[in-house]
Amino acid sequence: MSTFDIPIGPQHPALPEPLLLKLEVEGETVVGVDFDVSYMHRGIEKLLETKTYFQGLPLVERICGICNAAHGLCYTLNVEKLYDKEIPPRAQYLRVIVEELSRIHSHLLWLGVAAFEIGFNTMFMYTWRDREHVMDMLEAITGNRVTTEYSQIGGVRRDITPELAEKLLKTMDVVEERTKYYIKVALTEPTIAKRTQGVGYLSPEDAKATCSVGPVIRASGIKFDVRADDPYAAHDEVPFNVITYDSCDVFGRVVVRAQELLECVNMIRYALKNLPSGPFRIKLPMKPNAGEALTRVEAPRGELLHYTLCEGTPKPYRYKVRTPTLANLGALRVMLTSKGRYVVNIGDVPIIYGSIDPCICCTARVQFIDVKKGKTWTWTLDEIRGMSKKVKA
Amino acid sequence: MTPESYLIETLKVLVFPGFTFIFILALFYEWLDRKFYAKLQNRVGPLYAGPLGILQPLADFIKLLSKEDIVPKGVDRILFTATPLFSLTLSIFATLLLPIFSYKGILSFEGDLVIAVVLLTFLCIITFFAGIASYNRFAIIGAERSFLQLIGYEVPLMISIVSVALNARSLTIQNIVLSQKGIWYILGPNILGFIVFLFAAQAELERIPFDLPEAEQEIIAGWNVDYSGRRLAMFRLAKNIELVFLCGLAVTLFLGGPLGPVVPGFEPFLFTIYFIIKSIFVLAILTIVRALFARLRIDQIVSLSWKYLLPLAIIQFLIVRLIV
Repeated sequence: MSTFDIPIGPQHPALPEPLLLKLEVEGETVVGVDFDVSYMHRGIEKLLETKTYFQGLPLVERICGICNAAHGLCYTLNVEKLYDKEIPPRAQYLRVIVEELSRIHSHLLWLGVAAFEIGFNTMFMYTWRDREHVMDMLEAITGNRVTTEYSQIGGVRRDITPELAEKLLKTMDVVEERTKYYIKVALTEPTIAKRTQGVGYLSPEDAKATCSVGPVIRASGIKFDVRADDPYAAHDEVPFNVITYDSCDVFGRVVVRAQELLECVNMIRYALKNLPSGPFRIKLPMKPNAGEALTRVEAPRGELLHYTLCEGTPKPYRYKVRTPTLANLGALRVMLTSKGRYVVNIGDVPIIYGSIDPCICCTARVQFIDVKKGKTWTWTLDEIRGMSKKVKA
Repeated sequence: MTPESYLIETLKVLVFPGFTFIFILALFYEWLDRKFYAKLQNRVGPLYAGPLGILQPLADFIKLLSKEDIVPKGVDRILFTATPLFSLTLSIFATLLLPIFSYKGILSFEGDLVIAVVLLTFLCIITFFAGIASYNRFAIIGAERSFLQLIGYEVPLMISIVSVALNARSLTIQNIVLSQKGIWYILGPNILGFIVFLFAAQAELERIPFDLPEAEQEIIAGWNVDYSGRRLAMFRLAKNIELVFLCGLAVTLFLGGPLGPVVPGFEPFLFTIYFIIKSIFVLAILTIVRALFARLRIDQIVSLSWKYLLPLAIIQFLIVRLIV
């Protein structure tokens, strides 16, 4: 049977992200895949070098709309490493609360998107409705629904009042009840099981070899969670379980994310009950000390990595971000290729792709790799300009 | 025939229960379907055009008619133009067979049930040609899928219809309706056949969980991805009319057609009311199924049909055979 290429994206109803999946198909079976993520290069890392550390925070939050709390937290933790100052414990606890709230909203959003990918629109509508409770709480705590900018260099922007804490606890009850219902639906609904079990298989060996992160690697049965392995903020004090599941497929990722929701709820409850008193923010000088800093944070999608090199000036010399989606793209290629008895249908592609919770806009990098020669290089802006002139002439 | 009877026959075809009535009913059912589906999903659904958004399907239809009509390069122009027309014509033709205001439809002859079944298959074949005609990768996959799906649900559908015909000992719709004067077939021995028929109808209409030929998350819009403007409007209208036809056929075969308690002299009026109420009941079941499930994969649909639907249909046939 002859094969032919099907392009999925960069404009496609199922993938609201600028990713091009070039599928090589035989009838309904996918035999090969190639992808291109560089449709959306925003130059944020370069732009950060032109701003002071304090000005950079709003920009960092805009790397990703959904895991903005993780980006903001990672940035502030990273910059704070350049100062030799103790951050107040109350601020650390408040950071955990907002981080976990944003994880709840991200996972609920993902559950809805995953249901949408397999054509289960009803579940999509319900999870997004319940996500609104969390969004309202985020707004009440931080003042913003989406780009919260809650974590600041030296602490957090606002304190939580006792009334607000009471309201948050009540919301957590609602979220817990709804989450238990969704877990029940996901575990018992026959069509969900049919569409997710055995689909997007990623063996533990492959998960390790491709350096996948977050719920993807945890659904392959490997305990890897930055919050537990390398605790930051108040995660060394707030207890939680690392959820794993050993089915290694999309179903496992659904279960892991759904169970993590319950963990988040418990963490928020614990953090609110044991919230230390004291200041929630300290003032830090404009100029950090010279040096390097590297921070890892467990974003909703997986391990997020920020690196900075400071020369003792208010502006970073270099800032580097590695988002979880980039780490999971290798695993995606393994999952999308049919091998032996493992067959990928065209119908499975959206849900497999969706199962890594992709965020391509955070991912685009300009780097050229010559696969045959093993050479890697980048172009500067001037070189690109020069080339565009050549093309015009 | 007198001139008056000519006039009446013409009005029957053009106004009631012919084209105009079917057109209004099709738009009304689309609105009901969308509104009920939205309620099940905790949304409001169509809201602004007319009271409770009841004119929304009409507004959509008119809007599509006024849109630019794009014919992409490389399409088979003849098929590309003909398939929307055929699809609409055949679905309207099929609804003329339904008994709506009396025991028989506008078209009624010996063995018209066979024509109804043939038309159902034709509608699916037209879908296939519509996909092939546009020479688009997504459309070709959609067309392939609609054919594969047909292989899955066609045989159980036929058997479930045949068992009703066997029960009535007739292939004429009028006789099938009349034979249900005592007891409807759904209450009689044909409950399994009704279930099989509903599943097949859902697949024929390409609705979740069987909406593979136009699964938007996978192949964008499938077989109708290249159609726009008035061609798309015709396809959509044809789909709605097919919805009316399949609900009506389910009513005719299993729910006693337009039968019900009557006041002498008001039969046509009451029959129409009964027909609409019963077909809305069938529509509600189809909508609930659409809201409850996720989309299946093509191999899963075919194996589901052959593993579960076909045995069910055969059991149904055997039960009827033993009784009759």
